[in-house]
Amino acid sequence: MFLRLIADNFTRRPRRKFLTAAALSLGMAVATAALSVSLDVGDRLSEEFRSLGANLVITPEADSLPLEIGGVDFRPANSGAYLPESDLPKIKSVFWHNNITAFAPILETSVTIKETPPPNYDIAALASGKIISNSAMLASIKVQLVGTWVGHSVPLADGSTFETGIGRTNPWWHVQGRWFVESANECVVGTHLAKRLGLKVGDKLTVIEEKERTDVSDTHELGVVGILETGGSEDEAAIVPLSLAQALAKKPGQYRKLYVSALTKPEDEFARRDPRTMKPDELERWSCSPYVSSIAYSIKQVLPGSDVRVIRRVADGEGKILTRVRTLLWLVTFASLLAAALAVGASSAASVIERRTEIGLMKALGAGSGTVGWLLAAEQLLLAFVGGCIGYALGLLLARFLGSKIFGVPPEPSLLVLGVILVLAAGVTLLGSALPLRRAARFDPAPILRGE
Amino acid sequence: MMTDRRSNNRSMFWRVLRRSVFANRGRLFVILLALGAGAAVTAALLNLQVDAKRRITTEFRSFGPNVLITPRGSGVASTATSVMKESALSKLQSEAENPDCVAIPFLYAVAKVASGNSTPAVDAVIAGTHLDLLENREPAWKLEPEHPSDYSQDECLVGLKLANQLRVRAESSLRLKSGQRTESCRLAAVLASGGPEDDQAFVPLAVAQRLADASDRVSVVKVFVGGTPQKINETVNALQQKLPDVEVRPIRQFTEAEARLYSRISGILTATVAVVLILTALCVMAAMTNVAMERRNDVGLMKAIGGSVRRVLRLFLAEAALLGLAGGVIGAAIGIVISMGLGKAVFGVAAQPRLIVYPISVALTVIVAILAAYPLRRLVHIRPASVFRGEE
Repeated sequence: MFLRLIADNFTRRPRRKFLTAAALSLGMAVATAALSVSLDVGDRLSEEFRSLGANLVITPEADSLPLEIGGVDFRPANSGAYLPESDLPKIKSVFWHNNITAFAPILETSVTIKETPPPNYDIAALASGKIISNSAMLASIKVQLVGTWVGHSVPLADGSTFETGIGRTNPWWHVQGRWFVESANECVVGTHLAKRLGLKVGDKLTVIEEKERTDVSDTHELGVVGILETGGSEDEAAIVPLSLAQALAKKPGQYRKLYVSALTKPEDEFARRDPRTMKPDELERWSCSPYVSSIAYSIKQVLPGSDVRVIRRVADGEGKILTRVRTLLWLVTFASLLAAALAVGASSAASVIERRTEIGLMKALGAGSGTVGWLLAAEQLLLAFVGGCIGYALGLLLARFLGSKIFGVPPEPSLLVLGVILVLAAGVTLLGSALPLRRAARFDPAPILRGE
Repeated sequence: MMTDRRSNNRSMFWRVLRRSVFANRGRLFVILLALGAGAAVTAALLNLQVDAKRRITTEFRSFGPNVLITPRGSGVASTATSVMKESALSKLQSEAENPDCVAIPFLYAVAKVASGNSTPAVDAVIAGTHLDLLENREPAWKLEPEHPSDYSQDECLVGLKLANQLRVRAESSLRLKSGQRTESCRLAAVLASGGPEDDQAFVPLAVAQRLADASDRVSVVKVFVGGTPQKINETVNALQQKLPDVEVRPIRQFTEAEARLYSRISGILTATVAVVLILTALCVMAAMTNVAMERRNDVGLMKAIGGSVRRVLRLFLAEAALLGLAGGVIGAAIGIVISMGLGKAVFGVAAQPRLIVYPISVALTVIVAILAAYPLRRLVHIRPASVFRGEE
């Protein structure tokens, strides 16, 4: 009888039920879309933040202080310490290896280049004396070489390889032409340097390698395959494969600086504490959260003799903005949940109020307040379930659309959201109808049936 | 006679309206709740959205300077030696009054730094600058102790690595030596940035100028430009026009990322807010329609006593508009207050109420209410008799 009453109610007045269900599913669609987007946005944004470049820098612990002004190191050539390149694959073996998106070692060295007159010798410029002064400079020109990885495959312990390079750690470096191939004798020249030397893509840059005996020297002829624009001091340098820079600096298998780009969780109060002062359980919790400081800590464990520092400008800004945007989206989600809840509640309240006559009749026929309440509540719950499911499906479509519109990647549908939505739909409809239901339970059937 | 009837009609219209609005307090409350909630969310989100975009750009401050002014044609090789005249940059100083664009000059030099204790002196890069301005503009730097002083005397900041090498802490005194010239200063704080600043010592500009024997010279000016990426570009162009003798270039690492992040974040905000607003409107509309449908008996009765279809419809639409107005006025006001609170919760600064948001949200609510009552037009086709008989 109970079930028949409910079924009847749905089939007899489909339009009325349809409206309540529509309000419910729309509300739940808002909630689903907002929830899915805000659950997803943290990960997506921290990927976007990698366009800021590396957030960790690793230097040798024993290194002397770099005397670097505007990109030129004024240290004597042989001072300072280096780190072994062979340790690098270990970085991908730390606990947070999945969060490390890229890394690139740097070895800088200063070399003399051999003057090569540009093939398209500009007669007019020559006449004006401009080139002459330029070639005078060229004769003894010292150029900063930056050795690094580009598209380098790092063999990992599990047999797979990890591809990384400077283009990934420093995505704001734009190359006109292409990057060099590591095995070839090629290089990429900074835009200012290229202008100064009159170099174009396709030209050659001849680098002199100094030997122990000063009278013997070896030259390396490098094909210029790209012009690099960074907006930084690298515009004045030439970028070469790391192995070549190592040979020229006579530091085989070594590097001086390592940039690491890692996906991190925004730092909070807990993250800023010193791991040495933590209790064991706190240390465990700390090292199990991908804070930038705990990633730095775990990298330091695998690279002996290294000094891992957080590039605060990048990490700090990232943390702050991520926290802000996340809270903001949660607020929007919460606001939309609230609005949806109120509208749905209003709708179900109206549907109960309108059924006063029915309730009066049932009570007149001998139904107790409890039975009437149960009947209506069961009806509302059924409605909530149907509306919630439809809303979830609608909301998922919407979230997919939003996600691919903004980030190009739709958010993963999550069953957690479905659970939250169903519970929410049930709660909202019950709350909305609770007040009128309580009043309905106290109705005196007689005046209602009389139409008063 | 005609005017009399019309005024009679009008007063009757209002009376019916008043009665139908206030007849059922429970129903009135439900409707106002739904409309008010919609209006509040609309107003709060609209207000917050405008404010949030602005606030996000101020968060970009943590990235530090985003524009560099260097001597023209200076390459890396020459930056250390080539300098600009400080006085030539005087035009820049007027720009500094604008809080969204602060320029801080730097003079770099290499000097021997010695502490009072027995640790040997080390060569380090000395950066002369306005420390008080700098501390304010580099929120990402970690100082130990925080906010050490007002930098009124000869005080300096020392990078973490340099401080470790010298084995000094705050309050020690340092001696700087370059050639024959020596200067001394008190170490106000140790700074950690993770960048090249960790290896440097920061001293007042005048001290560095005396040390390098380069009075009135600076090697680079770092400019902190706030605002949207578009505004940063405009500022760079304006600065370059103002100062033709020097080179003005944006620090690509940050300007590019800022532009990217800004477009993403404002995209998320606009999209979510738009979707939430549309669905909230639909949701309120569905709820309102449900409420309005219950008026079929009234429609039947009015038609039975000779009400024309148009007048009946007008009555209901007027009622809906009135309710929408009431719900909107109350809800939007609540929403703006809420958004101020939310702004404080997210950004630490209360969101500025924007007056334009208020009429927009009220208007939206009224429109939603009228649209929600619109399905009533189907009720004008119902036959009064069947309503009275209680048929569906």
